[in-house]
Amino acid sequence: MKKQLITLDINDQLYQVAVTPMDILVDVIRKEIGLTGTKKGCGQGDCGACTVLIDGKPQLGCLKLAIACQGKKITTIEGVADPVTGELHPLQKSFLDHGAVQCGFCTPGMILSSKALVDSTPNPSKEEIKRTLAGNTCRCTGYILIFEAIEAYVKARAEGEVK
Amino acid sequence: MNILNEFEYYAPKTKSEALELVKSLGSSAKVLAGGTDLIIMMKEKMIKPEAIIDISNLDELKGIVCKDGQGAEIGACTTIAEIEFSKDLEKKYSALTYAAGELGSNQVRVMATIGGNCCHSSPAAETPTPLSALGAKVVISGLAGERELPMEDFIQGNRKNDLQPGEIVSKFILPEPAKKSACRYGYIGLRNAMEIDAVNMAVNITLEDDGTKIKDVKLVMGSVSPRPLVSELIPGLLKGTELTEELIVKAGEAAQSEAKPITDVRASAEYRRDVVGALARRLVKEAYEAAKEA
Repeated sequence: MKKQLITLDINDQLYQVAVTPMDILVDVIRKEIGLTGTKKGCGQGDCGACTVLIDGKPQLGCLKLAIACQGKKITTIEGVADPVTGELHPLQKSFLDHGAVQCGFCTPGMILSSKALVDSTPNPSKEEIKRTLAGNTCRCTGYILIFEAIEAYVKARAEGEVK
Repeated sequence: MNILNEFEYYAPKTKSEALELVKSLGSSAKVLAGGTDLIIMMKEKMIKPEAIIDISNLDELKGIVCKDGQGAEIGACTTIAEIEFSKDLEKKYSALTYAAGELGSNQVRVMATIGGNCCHSSPAAETPTPLSALGAKVVISGLAGERELPMEDFIQGNRKNDLQPGEIVSKFILPEPAKKSACRYGYIGLRNAMEIDAVNMAVNITLEDDGTKIKDVKLVMGSVSPRPLVSELIPGLLKGTELTEELIVKAGEAAQSEAKPITDVRASAEYRRDVVGALARRLVKEAYEAAKEA
């Protein structure tokens, strides 16, 4: 089928890509644009590995048509660190500090889901953190270290230690 | 990297443009809102539409309007997450906001819409059950105009509904809750998160002015019938009574006698029937107690 040129706004950069209507966002992000931080797991909307932020909210890249994402602001894991210095976001650092990463496949989705939560909620409870991450499957860490990493970040931010 | 069938993509800018497209493309087209059911069905090759009409950007179909004393209107393309977190809706229709919060995952709730959840017409869907119990009407739009149907009449079977060619669902109208009334929703699945309900249920109870006798009651069951099942026995059993433990037990039995559960991957028919009894007893009691406090 004939391809058409669309513009996607990813991490505040505009990318022109040629797609068909059938092309799925996660595939375009990984294979056409080359941002491979976003992972593709089940492809069925269950595992959350493909989570990206669209206009600040976590959505599933495996269930989005790329063509339908024109005019929206997409954030992938590559857009979370400081764009100038490359320094990791304190939430990312907290994941590292707490050993909340094992194989790492779920981590981009975990970071983006939790970033959307901490961006919109000043002081999320453990229950809110758990509910938010129910759609991000991790088969290594058992989630405890992930929850601790997020809670530690929220606490440090509340105390003004990090942004 | 294409695993979807080939289709043309249309993104109408207005509702009337969308209705023109839905009319002219007919049954070869599917309407896309959140995509959390539609895209999966396309990936599974359960459907192969020749055209996709994306209505997710139509502001005319979005939003929640709650008016004091005059119920509420919810646009069909309002996301489940917006409903889950709407303080205005929670005040009047907590059964609906609770059910919305129990649908899928956070990401799914951000994407999925209430119109999509109803139009997909899965027997296990979360929102049609409380919408039916709350007396919601579905507003269906076509080029010729609008028509309204009670929620429970809109869904006609497993993935079947009353939408005619050329029509889309545009909004839901919820009546103002009666004085001294309360609606409660509950469900049982295999686990808390990311499950599909084995049984869900909503019970709406209105009390007489005396605050003890039941004036009106509506019990709706989901996932135990091809469509939302409104109990016919419960009103006859409970209207005019003051709820007792004995009546609660009888209400459970009445709901069980009407449910038509099947055995599938999520639960056996036998288990579902037990759950219907348990949920009916629990929700009738909870709704009655809450109506007393209302």
